[in-house]
Amino acid sequence: MSAPNRARDEVAIVGYAQSPVVRHADRSLGALTLDTARAAIADAGLTPDQVDGFVTASLFPTSGEHAVVDGVSVVSADWLAARLNPNPRYAANFSGLGQIPGSMAMAVNAVASGAAEHVLVHRALHNPAGSYHGTRAAEFRGGLQWTAPQGFFGPLAMIGLTYNEYVQRYGASREALAEVVVEARKNGARLPWSHWSGRPLTAEQYLAEPMLADPIGRFDCDIPVDGAAAFVLTTAERARDLPHRPVHVSGYASGAPPRRRLPAHWPLDDIMAAGTEMADRLWAAAGMGLDEIDLLQVYDGFSPLVFLWLEALGRCPVGEGHHYVRDGGIDSDRPGADPVLLSGGSLGNGRMHGVPQLLECYLQVSGRAGERQRDGVTTALSCHSSPHLGGALVYSAHPQPATHHDPRT
Amino acid sequence: MTSSPPPSSGRPLPVPDALSAPYWAAAARHVLTLSRCSDCGTLTHPPDVVCDACGSTDPRFTAVPVDGRGVVRSWTVVRQSFLPGFADLLPFVLVDVELTEQPDVRLVGRLLDGPDAPLKTGSPVRVAFEDLAEGVAVPAFVLAESA
Repeated sequence: MSAPNRARDEVAIVGYAQSPVVRHADRSLGALTLDTARAAIADAGLTPDQVDGFVTASLFPTSGEHAVVDGVSVVSADWLAARLNPNPRYAANFSGLGQIPGSMAMAVNAVASGAAEHVLVHRALHNPAGSYHGTRAAEFRGGLQWTAPQGFFGPLAMIGLTYNEYVQRYGASREALAEVVVEARKNGARLPWSHWSGRPLTAEQYLAEPMLADPIGRFDCDIPVDGAAAFVLTTAERARDLPHRPVHVSGYASGAPPRRRLPAHWPLDDIMAAGTEMADRLWAAAGMGLDEIDLLQVYDGFSPLVFLWLEALGRCPVGEGHHYVRDGGIDSDRPGADPVLLSGGSLGNGRMHGVPQLLECYLQVSGRAGERQRDGVTTALSCHSSPHLGGALVYSAHPQPATHHDPRT
Repeated sequence: MTSSPPPSSGRPLPVPDALSAPYWAAAARHVLTLSRCSDCGTLTHPPDVVCDACGSTDPRFTAVPVDGRGVVRSWTVVRQSFLPGFADLLPFVLVDVELTEQPDVRLVGRLLDGPDAPLKTGSPVRVAFEDLAEGVAVPAFVLAESA
């Protein structure tokens, strides 16, 4: 059994900003992100000179031919720091998948250790002109030599193979995925910043859409966008003097695949084996279990991931996620249901990766969700990416009573 | 069954490196190989700089021919390709194959029987090869009779 994480509830989110999420912004990603970061810092009641830590994950998740240019297609922590508070005490870029839990963990550790006092975590995502994943490459080196010449390339085939394994094994229907996508789009339609604002989707529209990589259709995939979001973290102690109710980070965990696979090959059993282990680490880190979580926000960049997260976290037995969502099981408008896509998710916002889930947890626990505010949300959990490569975070309004005495105090 | 489009197919080609050259040389002769660690004898694919099974940092992988038989664990029908040279092949089936020789090795390739082939989890398949250019072939699969 691992020792409790000494950072548990020691670090809190104290402010945020979310840019409009659009197909193609009329300005550069760097400008959009800088304005968003300034807004988040102001929201936290701080000034840029007080922000001495910067963390992001700058992955540009394209399979295509697009150049990676800092300030244009990505925004690194260093790029942003140089324009807000040069030479910060801490600046770091998380490089794995599960960018939100990964970068938030680095920020929590930086604050808890004293490496920085106020850390800005941002995520900036870009939709380049032209095909997002298309390439004219005539040759492939490295890992992709084993897959692309054979025609296995890009995330659609990846999730198509994973999800068909699920469908064949558990008998999931298209109507079950329709329930997921319609719920995400319904909640996303209510968000003023969302690409899909005011544009819900019906099950009939979903079911009429042709397949792209059976059993995956267009609406099962989040749409590429330009957008940025930023969050400010500081110690729980300093957070008490800032304007908004702090949201403490109680714990985090990330997955690790059970074995090396071909690039973009996600066998279902790999996902569930590593995902359930990740969940066990999460409960140990957070000092609480799923039954103590008031609001669960699962990741949905591809709609089938909703089933896999529900199962990996133990919300329902393995293989039953597709039953769990049926008949209004996750309907945010139905009393007593489990509104796991209240955030709108990536399907209802646009490809903001795990930002919507983090944002919804922050807004609900801090009491800042406005018309969407739900009663009694004091703990929350957000997920990102897949259960075997991504991760999750647990948040609390109230720090848990100390379970150990810190000899330094 | 072996599909043999005329060279060159217009499809992207693998670029062999020090670890992969023996694999691609065998593939050009339509022989499927896996990589055997010289220290522990475990087969793997693709080869890596360290053996996953025994941790050897000097695995000296050798390309061992295997019979290329396996069963389908999953499949998808690709209806939109992001690569050059595949447009005329759409829609095509990709199969996720568990090799009989070493079931924890999974390969993904095209199923050459076409999009209407009767497929189910556990369908037996065997390897076939597609010639992409002079001296370059890549593995694919065809449905096989049950053993």
